[in-house]
Amino acid sequence: MKWNTTLLSSLAAGALLAACGGSSAPAPASPAAASSAAASAAASSAAAKPAAPASGAASAAAKPSAGTKVNLTGAGSTADFPLFTKVFDAWGQQTGNQVNYQSVGSGAGIEQLTKKTVDFGASDAIMTDAQEKAAPAPVVHIPVTIVAAAVSYNLPGVTNLKLDGETLANIYLGTIKFWDDPKITALNADVKLAHTPIAVVHRSDGSGTTYIFTNYLAAVSSDWKSKVGAATSVNWPVGIGGAGSEGVSGQVSQTPGAIGYFEYAYAVQNKLATVLMKNKAGKFTAPSVPGSTAAAAGAAANMPADGKAIFVDAPGDDTYPIAGFSWILSYKDLDAAKGKTLIDLFTYTTTKGQDFAQPLQYAPLPKPVQDLDAKIIGGLTIGGKAQ
Amino acid sequence: MASSAFNTGGSLPRRQFINRVMGALLCLSAAVALTPLLLVIGFILANGISGINLDLLTKLPKPVGELGGGMGNAFLGTAILIALASLFGVPIGVLAGIYLSEFGNTGFARILRFLTDVLTGVPSIIIGIVAYTLVVVPTHSFSAVAGGVALAIIMIPVVTRTTEEALRRVPNALREASLGLGVHEWKTMMYIVLPAGLGGIVTGVMLAIARISGETAPLLFTAFGSRFWQDGLGNPIAAVPLQVYKYALAPYKDWHDQAWAAAFILMMLILILNVGVRVVTRSGFQKIR
Repeated sequence: MKWNTTLLSSLAAGALLAACGGSSAPAPASPAAASSAAASAAASSAAAKPAAPASGAASAAAKPSAGTKVNLTGAGSTADFPLFTKVFDAWGQQTGNQVNYQSVGSGAGIEQLTKKTVDFGASDAIMTDAQEKAAPAPVVHIPVTIVAAAVSYNLPGVTNLKLDGETLANIYLGTIKFWDDPKITALNADVKLAHTPIAVVHRSDGSGTTYIFTNYLAAVSSDWKSKVGAATSVNWPVGIGGAGSEGVSGQVSQTPGAIGYFEYAYAVQNKLATVLMKNKAGKFTAPSVPGSTAAAAGAAANMPADGKAIFVDAPGDDTYPIAGFSWILSYKDLDAAKGKTLIDLFTYTTTKGQDFAQPLQYAPLPKPVQDLDAKIIGGLTIGGKAQ
Repeated sequence: MASSAFNTGGSLPRRQFINRVMGALLCLSAAVALTPLLLVIGFILANGISGINLDLLTKLPKPVGELGGGMGNAFLGTAILIALASLFGVPIGVLAGIYLSEFGNTGFARILRFLTDVLTGVPSIIIGIVAYTLVVVPTHSFSAVAGGVALAIIMIPVVTRTTEEALRRVPNALREASLGLGVHEWKTMMYIVLPAGLGGIVTGVMLAIARISGETAPLLFTAFGSRFWQDGLGNPIAAVPLQVYKYALAPYKDWHDQAWAAAFILMMLILILNVGVRVVTRSGFQKIR
């Protein structure tokens, strides 16, 4: 039990929070009118953005009991952090609750959920069987957004470098050692590539981006699948490690001839050169929001009921092949005190919250996935009882 | 020539020449040793000064994509954490220091002294893990208290050893005079020895605070960080070094600017603390009458 959850149940706190939020939405005159305040905030945010499909019912479903502020703590994926701060902030302004999400990494998020020190986790990787076993109770995976891994390189004067999966896998396996390898030049007829050694850079820490990246390599290369495999951290055959996206991008920018991967939002914010990847349809695509959306569209058609889908190397002309879901991780049975609020948060994040995805370089969840999420969230129980 | 050092012979100009060369070398070494400090201060000043404004100290962080906001909660959080750490750490440290100085001739005290020195050298991330295991896991919550405990563990050896040193410097004649007049031992301790060593103890506490106020590693999985104003000591809490660390790793320029500015302010606070220590030490020890 947290020690102070009931401490700040005063009216003043609610008013203060609304003031601190500094939103353009009209602040509620009194938190007693919580429901009308929530409605007006919803209306004002809906005015700014196109309304998401299937939204209204969801966010109206669970409203906090008037005057009680709930503090939620979440931890996990770094890739989700920018989206979550925005979505949770908007949700907090509507409901008066607070979500403290800390980007400690997918692996640490799973660990903290297992230790029950946080209310929910977030991960770009599906929990392994061993991890699920280690958890004290059953955990559900709720797909919440789509993240992509961008491949970047350091070759002065070279733009629009193209690669296919097989070649990328061979570079990371160490069998392709120079940039003027016939396999690479064949894909880049219009680019002059020097006989520069390839410096492979990968993440040294456990990472959801690595999970998506290695899943892709395993999907397109049987050699990779048998020799290395796919996980949040693998035994890399070659290359040097960098900690975090910034570590990898730092190594790439300092090392001529380097190649590395990191989360897409990082590449966009830092305006880094990205490789055009050949997708299943034979087209070369750069990492982009439409590219990730197209990738997810295929997966959305036949989602497994538990939401644990991997869709690297997905079909479609516009598809960017190195993309995957990020999941909110929650216990199937929720704490009695916080359960209702958590369910409201999950529902908001997977429905209305998706409106915030695009401006922040995330691909919004396709409708079928949102519907599946509603089903998964609907299956959660509170204190052993159905909602 | 090594032998010339012992040889009063040799011509005067030659010895003067060697003297000047060696003097210059020493001066150069001192300058090199100082360079990193000046570089750090200069670099943080150059990058941080433009980002300093009132919002940084008073506003809450904004979500990604919205410019502005600050880290007022982090500054408040650091203040709360330092207060908690001092509350836990200073009494234990001072009492342990008194024990070591006044009753420190036993084998147990020698072991204690050694262990205290070992504790000073323990990497702070490990102390973070200890606090995580002792406080966070049993309570199922990251909290300000857990962060305070972690920082207190770092403070204790510093305070203990400086207290011990300060009390050892109090002349024994003072103790003897007091005891000789029939004053109880505890009264001698309270009213004679402690006041005399107070300057040194305060120095130790301030040094310890300067040490912990910049710590990031022990807070990662104890204080955990927060984007809100503090809501009770049982909830996660923000801290400036933690926020700087997170912002520096993020890909957003606005956050980088804020991280630089916060780093600058934090460094200034630590610098002021250290200068304060000098002032206290100077006036403190002169108070011994």
